[in-house]
Amino acid sequence: MQYPQFQEFWHAASKRQVIFFYAGYFSQHVVSAIAETIKARLNAAGTAGPTSRRIFSAFVEMSQNIMHYSADALTPAAQPDRQIRGGAFCIGVSGDQFYLLCANPVANASVEAIRGKIAPLCAMTVDEIKSAYRTALRQAAPEDSKGAGLGFLTMARDASAPLTFQFLPDSDDAGRTVFCIAATI
Amino acid sequence: MEHFFLPASPTSPEVSFEFSRHALSIRGESYPENAAAFYGPVIDSARAYLALCDGQSIDVHVALAYFNSSSTKMLFALFDALNDAAIFGNEVRLHWYRDEEDETILEFGEELRDDFAALEFVDCVLPARQA
Repeated sequence: MQYPQFQEFWHAASKRQVIFFYAGYFSQHVVSAIAETIKARLNAAGTAGPTSRRIFSAFVEMSQNIMHYSADALTPAAQPDRQIRGGAFCIGVSGDQFYLLCANPVANASVEAIRGKIAPLCAMTVDEIKSAYRTALRQAAPEDSKGAGLGFLTMARDASAPLTFQFLPDSDDAGRTVFCIAATI
Repeated sequence: MEHFFLPASPTSPEVSFEFSRHALSIRGESYPENAAAFYGPVIDSARAYLALCDGQSIDVHVALAYFNSSSTKMLFALFDALNDAAIFGNEVRLHWYRDEEDETILEFGEELRDDFAALEFVDCVLPARQA
């Protein structure tokens, strides 16, 4: 990419009030480094404590999801830690709200399972989300989860509007689908 | 029992279990890559200590500014072990530190109170951090 194209890309992001964008590989070191810059950015902008904490929480859940579950992996799937997997993440401002977006490829065969986990959350009221969170907290972690099975519920809990998600075809690989999820804080 | 200590890292808390003083503390932020791998040894060492306690007064201090979803699950398992020790005749005080503005940590503390009634819950409110 030449400088003028780079500048065009940069302007497009600024115009949409994107305050952070990263596309590439996520490891725990990358998550930790982004965490530091996001905290400093929100702090410098004087974002209210509770808002800042919700943004931070949704960021950690999204970026660790990419690191644990993206189909684009640099590390062997069987390796239990130091995973490095690909995806994209962005935080932007829209009016007086923040939005967080992330995207990563998943195997086509996983799509329905992911949809089955998120779609019900998108239709729940705040009280229903809190109640589902309390139930999941006391249940054994699902077998296909590397965490607690609480990630999407945590995002839904921290968001001020229902989560939205979409599955898009992966132009690079017909066996994959790009999973996108967005949270408004 | 020997002191169990893990220094804080950017994504995991300091864990300091001074078993000889019956003082257990966890402080910092918790979003390790693999929460089960991080908390496994922490919970094991607490369980080994609690198995030796009888009629003991134990102080647990938890000051976590943030923990991710998978850490939440592991903390629940730790508090479950502490609650069992309280049921079996120990006096276990859980000092739960939270920023006064942080509703999430407040609500999690309420979950703990509901589920682990044998623990003596001490709500410790810290003034909001300045932006």
